[in-house]
Amino acid sequence: MKILVVDDSKAMRAIVKRALSTLDRVAGAQILEAADGREAFGTVQSERPDLILSDWNMPEMNGIELLQALNDAGTSVTFGFVTSESTPEMHELARAHGAKFLVSKPFTPESIDQALAKAI
Amino acid sequence: MHTVTSVDLQQIGTDIWAAILGMVLQPADALAHHGEEVRVVTGCVQITGDWSGAVTVQCSAHLARVATAVMFGSTPDDVTEDEVCDTVGELANMTGGNVKSLLPGSCQLSLPAVTTGRDYHVFIPGAEVVDRVTADCNGELVVMTMLERRG
Repeated sequence: MKILVVDDSKAMRAIVKRALSTLDRVAGAQILEAADGREAFGTVQSERPDLILSDWNMPEMNGIELLQALNDAGTSVTFGFVTSESTPEMHELARAHGAKFLVSKPFTPESIDQALAKAI
Repeated sequence: MHTVTSVDLQQIGTDIWAAILGMVLQPADALAHHGEEVRVVTGCVQITGDWSGAVTVQCSAHLARVATAVMFGSTPDDVTEDEVCDTVGELANMTGGNVKSLLPGSCQLSLPAVTTGRDYHVFIPGAEVVDRVTADCNGELVVMTMLERRG
């Protein structure tokens, strides 16, 4: 399994990667990184990850713009948000664009696991 | 008028530092502040829309390095200045994002900005501090503020 972690914060990417490394559900997965939506879009085209965990608020291309771009390109990949912004409106917007889950920061490995259980 | 009370900002900060860093924030003296000689790092995010203002998170450079080491699985002596700024910026991002989730209406969160140095104040033009929360983290001071633009 390939998982792409997208966040403009290298620190947060490290935290997400560490959380994923503790989960049996994705044991052995190759974890890729991208620092913004534009870089992530390119990585998706070249690496074809099975799962994307993306921040929402990023420079260049934010998370919802990334998801929209993937939809427009006809790219099918399981997509979820890991974000500090968690209003009902954003949950609905994420869902409307096809995101499978939205995990709020701060998160625990367990909260990510619960989200993944429903998505993969 | 904002709807976030001091208790909310304290709880938000406590939850973030505990969940992400495994570090405990205890309430501190409300009037506590960093001394002029202390090098501090301040992360700031701005919120615009139906509510306008900013949220800041400030701690000493030493505590910032400790937190960064936790984030990166490193040691305080080995983390870089960029990594420290990244960490404090992300702490501000999470704090601001959680504050934003409690605000009425539709708002947008800026990307974080981080400032380091001694004896400085963060000013947001047209805004004033409406909430200031202090916390003790292993004997070090953490200050979180919420500023609201008036008019």
